[in-house]
Amino acid sequence: MALLSLKDVTKNFGITEIIRGVSLDIVEGEKHAIIGPNGAGKSTLFHLISGRYNVSAGSIHFKEQQIENKPPYEIARMGLARSFQVTNIFQRMSVFENIRCALFWSKGYGYSFWHLLGRQTELNDEAMHVLEQIGLADKAKFPSGELAYAEQRALELGVAVASGAELIMLDEPVAGMSHSEAENAVELIRKITEGKTLIMVEHDMNIVFDVADRISVLVYGEIIATDKPKNIRANPKVQEAYLGEAHNA
Amino acid sequence: MMALLKKSSIWIAFLIALLGLPLLFDSILAISILNQMAIAIVFALSYNMLLGQGGMLSFGHAVYFGLGGFLSVHALMLIEYETMVFSILWIPLIGGLFGLLAGIFIGSFSTRKAGTVFAMISLGIGELIAASSLIFSSFFGGEAGISGDRTFGPTFFGFDFAQNIEIYYVAAVWAFIATLFMWLFTQTPAGRMANAVRDNPERAEFIGYSSRKVRFISFCASGMFAGIAGGLFALNYEFITEENLNAATSGRVLLMAYIGGLGYFIGPIIGAVVLTLMNSLLSNYSELWMLYLGIMFLLTVMFLPRGFAGFIMMHQLAWVRGNMKMLIKPYIITGIPALLFALCAIALIEMSHTEDEVFHYLGFALNPASPVTWIVILAIAGGAFYAVKRSFNQLNDAWETANAIPKEEES
Repeated sequence: MALLSLKDVTKNFGITEIIRGVSLDIVEGEKHAIIGPNGAGKSTLFHLISGRYNVSAGSIHFKEQQIENKPPYEIARMGLARSFQVTNIFQRMSVFENIRCALFWSKGYGYSFWHLLGRQTELNDEAMHVLEQIGLADKAKFPSGELAYAEQRALELGVAVASGAELIMLDEPVAGMSHSEAENAVELIRKITEGKTLIMVEHDMNIVFDVADRISVLVYGEIIATDKPKNIRANPKVQEAYLGEAHNA
Repeated sequence: MMALLKKSSIWIAFLIALLGLPLLFDSILAISILNQMAIAIVFALSYNMLLGQGGMLSFGHAVYFGLGGFLSVHALMLIEYETMVFSILWIPLIGGLFGLLAGIFIGSFSTRKAGTVFAMISLGIGELIAASSLIFSSFFGGEAGISGDRTFGPTFFGFDFAQNIEIYYVAAVWAFIATLFMWLFTQTPAGRMANAVRDNPERAEFIGYSSRKVRFISFCASGMFAGIAGGLFALNYEFITEENLNAATSGRVLLMAYIGGLGYFIGPIIGAVVLTLMNSLLSNYSELWMLYLGIMFLLTVMFLPRGFAGFIMMHQLAWVRGNMKMLIKPYIITGIPALLFALCAIALIEMSHTEDEVFHYLGFALNPASPVTWIVILAIAGGAFYAVKRSFNQLNDAWETANAIPKEEES
């Protein structure tokens, strides 16, 4: 049974059609990569799934519940978490506070103004545990806006996964990193998405072929192929539309 | 027990300061200023819940202060005419409740967006309520406002609250309680999410929170505490007018919070104290005190964007490293000419304003009609300015050294 299921999803901005009838099933537990040339609509697709944009037509189901056109916070509460291509954290808050905020909803705090955070030992321990996982425990009290770039990306990941969501969507998690930073980041992604379902947009083909169980190729708003990595590599349509181009570049 | 005592030591100090100050300053003027301070502290802190903690720039926060105040004066009248009998100690609670109701009603549509939209709605609501208060005179009393009498209620251990000092203690206790609760609010999930929404409303939605609802909760709480401040105002002055809910009052609370420092819980407290002092003391010496307030605000925005509290906190690192003494000498060397320059500037401003022949200033008799006076003061000001400029580099160097990472930490 598919954990996430897109049916004939389209998205127009004015007369420009960005997503042109995408259907895609993500199976529980798989690591799925979405690749495609610049402007293919990968980030738009992420925004449609996570509720940032409304769809123009089609339907999206998560855990067999319809989620298209729902506000992001409702989708997030169902267990779908995402990160952003551009670092998108709470800049003026400490690293620890960033993670703790990401934990509030799943730990059942809601909009509470009667729980004193200093006394929520379990919550605070959990936040520290996430910080240890992403390697930022020693920077817990640091203002997050002053972290180094790779550390901010790690925090970005941490905020996405802290809540323990079943489906994690990462939008170019290693973009702009040096080679060694990217290697560390991939290790981190593996570690924190273990046993979870992952959808990832990524440009670095080594990482994609390394991490993904299946790959979808998005070109001009359409998925031209969804398959196992080795089949994607061999697919002539994909080579023509995307891989060849990327290899030449 | 000791740990609890240590943790709450700052609160105990705050309470002692609030209750002890009238023993040190017991003149009629001092008590009146202390009363104003207690009110201003609650009001400015409630404003900072919006701007500093929630990222909502409001130009109409006096609405909740004023409405709370108006209802409190009505409550005083109810007590006076024995329609209802209860102790006036509870009046601020009534102000707070009405502030909360107003917050719920107005917040239900104004917190949809932050930023410019929110600011414009707050300005519009502020104007609307201020204008309405002049129209609906049965509730607001028109331009004259409404007045009550706080001495009619049941006495409290023999006190009838006729004296200002008695009402000060009421205000001090309420200010303490309100401050404590506003601080506790920052320590809750709703308070932390207010910070998160301030920093990044979009991301907050992706971790499960409606940023609108987060803003709404802060907005209501802020309205409630502003209403409590309004209730304290009503108790202190026993009257209230349109002036207490119009844009000027909204502007003043913004200045207090900003000058004090938005990023720190203590900032608005400092701002409230400083501005109340300026308002009460400076206005005795100069008709131009508003001008000085304006200049101070400008200088704060330009040079101390994190306010007085931010300026104090800037020294944390030097303090921790035990380097504060490195800064004392350079501060004095730059500070004295800076002070001299400020005094000269004030002299020049006051001389251009005065209509008297002789202007008495710091023990000097200055003659505004004589060019010599002007030239001398301008020369001193010029010299002082030059001295500030010359010594500023030294101050900068001293600052760098005091905050530099010690050698052994660097490796």
